[in-house]
Amino acid sequence: MKFDNVLAERKNKVIYRDGDLAVKVFDESFPKSDILNEALNQARVEETGLNIPKIEEVTKIDGKWAIISDFIEGKTLQQLMDENPDKLDEYLELFVNVQMEILGKKCPLLKRLQDKMQDKISSTDLDATTRYELHTRLASMKRHDKVCHGDFNPSNIIITPDGTPFILDWSHATQGNGAADAARTYLLFCLKGDKDLAEKYLKLFCEKTDTARQYVNAWMPIVAASQSVKGNPEEREFLLNWANVCDWQ
Amino acid sequence: MSTKEYPIVESAESFAAALARVREAQKAFSTYTQEQVDAIFLAAATAANRARIPLAKMAVEETGMGVAEDKVIKNHFASEYIYNTYRNTKTCGVIEEDPVAGIKKIAEPIGVIGAVIPTTNPTSTAIFKALVCLKTRNGIIISPHPRAKKSTIAAAKIVLEAAVEAGAPEGIISWIDVPSLELTNLLMQESDCILATGGPGMVKAAYSSGKPALGVGAGNTPAIIDETADILLAVNSIIHSKTFDNGMICASEQSVIVEKKIYAKVKKEFKARGCYFLNDEECEKVRKTIIINGALNARIVGQKPVTIAKLAGVEVPETTKILIGEVESVDISEEFAHEKLSPVLAMYKAESFEDAIAKAEQLVADGGYGHTSSLYVDAINCKDKIDEFAAHMKTCRILVNTPSSQGGIGDLYNFSLTPSLTLGCGSWGGNSVSENVGVKHLLNIKTVAERRENMLWFRAPEKVYIKKGCMPVALQELRDVMGKKRAFLVTDSFLYKNGYTKPITDKLDEMGITYTTFSDVEPDPSLISAQKGAEAMRSFEPDVIIALGGGSAMDAAKIMWVLYEHPDVDFQDMAMRFVDIRKRIYTFPKMGEKAYFIAIPTSSGTGSEVTPFAVITDQETGIKYPLADYELMPNMAIVDADFMMSGPKGLTAASGIDAVSHALEAYASMMATDFTDGLALKALKVIFEYLPACYDNGMNEPVAREKVAHAATMAGMAFANAFLGVCHSMAHKLGAFHHIAHGVANALMLEQVIRFNSAEVPSKMGTFPQYDHPHTLARYAEIAQFLGFGGKNDKESVENLINGINELKARVGIKNTIADYGVKEEDFLATLDEMTEQAFDDQCTGANPRYPLFKEIKQMYLNAYYGNNKDAV
Repeated sequence: MKFDNVLAERKNKVIYRDGDLAVKVFDESFPKSDILNEALNQARVEETGLNIPKIEEVTKIDGKWAIISDFIEGKTLQQLMDENPDKLDEYLELFVNVQMEILGKKCPLLKRLQDKMQDKISSTDLDATTRYELHTRLASMKRHDKVCHGDFNPSNIIITPDGTPFILDWSHATQGNGAADAARTYLLFCLKGDKDLAEKYLKLFCEKTDTARQYVNAWMPIVAASQSVKGNPEEREFLLNWANVCDWQ
Repeated sequence: MSTKEYPIVESAESFAAALARVREAQKAFSTYTQEQVDAIFLAAATAANRARIPLAKMAVEETGMGVAEDKVIKNHFASEYIYNTYRNTKTCGVIEEDPVAGIKKIAEPIGVIGAVIPTTNPTSTAIFKALVCLKTRNGIIISPHPRAKKSTIAAAKIVLEAAVEAGAPEGIISWIDVPSLELTNLLMQESDCILATGGPGMVKAAYSSGKPALGVGAGNTPAIIDETADILLAVNSIIHSKTFDNGMICASEQSVIVEKKIYAKVKKEFKARGCYFLNDEECEKVRKTIIINGALNARIVGQKPVTIAKLAGVEVPETTKILIGEVESVDISEEFAHEKLSPVLAMYKAESFEDAIAKAEQLVADGGYGHTSSLYVDAINCKDKIDEFAAHMKTCRILVNTPSSQGGIGDLYNFSLTPSLTLGCGSWGGNSVSENVGVKHLLNIKTVAERRENMLWFRAPEKVYIKKGCMPVALQELRDVMGKKRAFLVTDSFLYKNGYTKPITDKLDEMGITYTTFSDVEPDPSLISAQKGAEAMRSFEPDVIIALGGGSAMDAAKIMWVLYEHPDVDFQDMAMRFVDIRKRIYTFPKMGEKAYFIAIPTSSGTGSEVTPFAVITDQETGIKYPLADYELMPNMAIVDADFMMSGPKGLTAASGIDAVSHALEAYASMMATDFTDGLALKALKVIFEYLPACYDNGMNEPVAREKVAHAATMAGMAFANAFLGVCHSMAHKLGAFHHIAHGVANALMLEQVIRFNSAEVPSKMGTFPQYDHPHTLARYAEIAQFLGFGGKNDKESVENLINGINELKARVGIKNTIADYGVKEEDFLATLDEMTEQAFDDQCTGANPRYPLFKEIKQMYLNAYYGNNKDAV
């Protein structure tokens, strides 16, 4: 196996191309359960019929855990957006369509978004009052069972040469309320510093899914709090500002 | 403050232990008397009142929100005003009793109340909830907000210790020491009722816990300043309210909508009183600071204006009272349109009062459904504006010329609005109550209702004149007493052609009363002929109507009378069935405003001259409208046997037996009284004695004729008040379907009905409080005894009565069975089910002492058809 063709390098994983396969090799520091869970998530989502790279193998390479799946030829939607700014509206439309397609699927064995958020809020370093407010807020949210990608952003979509979109990276997938997933995407745009695109995205999402903006807004403090657990120091203040809100009393 | 230690509640286990303690205490507390409870309520309120300042300081210190001095007012309010309002309220045992009506209301506690306390009013809400629970003998477990737990628990402790000192059971109040959503949810699931004050998540959790909950909703109070308002009062009231506890009261104004004519003046007054108007740039900065992604920034809640301005990067004077943003959009996307829980206010310019209302409606829809709205207006001269505002606001409190923070909680600016720190928002706000929550919401009221009997009545025409030959004497008063000028006679063509009207018209001529005669009444009076008669009446304009004839003429005249006085009545409405004539849905029109009604019977049986009934047939549809209302009662009845002397045999027999059935049914009716009983018995006795003579040789039996005439009228008076029964129900349909004369139809059913009603174990008895057990056998036996039929027991007496009736029937030529009257078997059977159902639904069925089943009516019909009397139902 040749690993000279590095596709991407992240903090604690490297992705190589090996012919028709993509090999994601994790650092030793990565918990085994997370890796197996990611593979399991991906396998489950495969069964929904969505266009995603298929898992071919979960193995150990040189003592490191690796997930081997199909390699998808093409450019990420992010690349396309960067290269063709004039086609931004078209790409955004496609982006939302793909998200809606995902949200239209059911996958009963995926972890529940509500439970995941519950744990995330508990593991933030927010003060007890804010956590209490957030837990209360979360408890009052509607429980749905739509497949939520959990990290839906243009760099996780590959458009093949024939124009078919493939969705990558299912490590954060859950089943739950679609508005939470939209709030997450909005937050990811904002974290990238692209507030205008974030607004444009959310407007389009709300329009196309006939969702009230405040319904998505209600999830913002929760997704911001959960995002803060990832512990990106430069984003922390921004995220905490979003999380520290309260309801009328 | 107390140093007494209490077991710490921090986990599911320690919570379960606390709950057990409160349950135990509440069990004992539920037996306390009103005096004991009132002493505890007084002691607890006094202690809370004494601690108002330290508790206020503690709350501000702990939460970092609000104004200590204002929290003192809230604590003071929660203790003094709540005590004062409920000091004399009965909350234990019998709280209301009306021995005459037989109603008693008994107050019982609910049990253990789960109370969720917010950060904005921690001590005052804890005091309020604890006090109302003590007053109602409930236990309470308080779940504080983590941000305000120390002060909330301190307030609860003070109330608890004073209550226990005054005799309350130890542990009647408890609290969660380490609040978490899990414990709060547990509390909601385990308590008997939830008093939830908190955010939407909390209220939703309360409502979804499956326990009854009293929750409150979001406020987004708009305040309109109308052009007629007292600007000085309006602006200063709003400032007073909005600055109170740094704007943390949920009823506090969030937006002020000012009519354009006075906008400049209002703005000037706000400025003069220390409010800061943000310029566009500052407005944008504040906008993005107060609301984040549509949610309220927790850091601005209950803060001073200068602090909030600083957070937004805006410089304002230290003493600024309110930050005001002049904005245009009332849409939810405008941050200023939200609830802000801080001294930040949106100000709108309205084109007109209507525009102001439209804006206020939208602001309420944005996030204040069911809470509070406020209007400043000239309340003396502009009541219509208040009404219009009230009609449009979907809020449960609509305050006029009142600072809404202090006004909404009641008793401060209006002394009839219940003081409370839990303000219900109705279904609009997802709440079970729409008023200010008080002790009545924390009680289970048991109502003890004793059986009572209905009031009954005896009603008859104001004048009933009786004596052979009395007609001219009776009519004399038309001129002498009443001064009547125009008479309208209603009769049938037979009577008219045979000169029956002549003695009447002679008398009218003599008195100089103008008259006209309508003589087209048919045997079964139709709506069309009644309409014709009424038309004639409208053109003639009589002030007296004289009906002469049998039931048909008198009924037709009654209907004409109705149509003459009330041309627009609907017969379907008037004929609507009722269970109790006093509770009927339809209000019968007032009669007698145009004409006085006199009835002169020419046969002895119908009783229509003294009854409030009339039947009319719509020949187009075939529908019979039986009307019943005391408005239809004639004003005068003249029973003069001169009009009856030449009645034919068949009519004499049929109407005589009709009168027998009237008396029998009135006597058996559940609504019979001693008054109607006397009339019914005497009527029966007279008919049994004199009817055969009338039948045999009526022309020459003046005494018998007069006796039977009186008896028929007496029976009429009996059933005019006691009503009839299922015999008439069945006879009506027999007549309608098979054209059997009414009196004969009754005669054919009588035996069946007597046997049916005599059952000591009926399948169902009638529903009427006076009718306490099936006792109609004994009632019929009374009749038998009165008529001298004897019998050694009730059963035998009733058999004798039946035999006596059958003998009388035979004596006057009435045949035995329906078949005998030429009704073909196939026709009879083909109509049986429909007759059965219609008879069941007949108005007369209601007073019958035995409630008939369909199959029972059907069987009675079959028996009466075949003469199968021994096989009765």
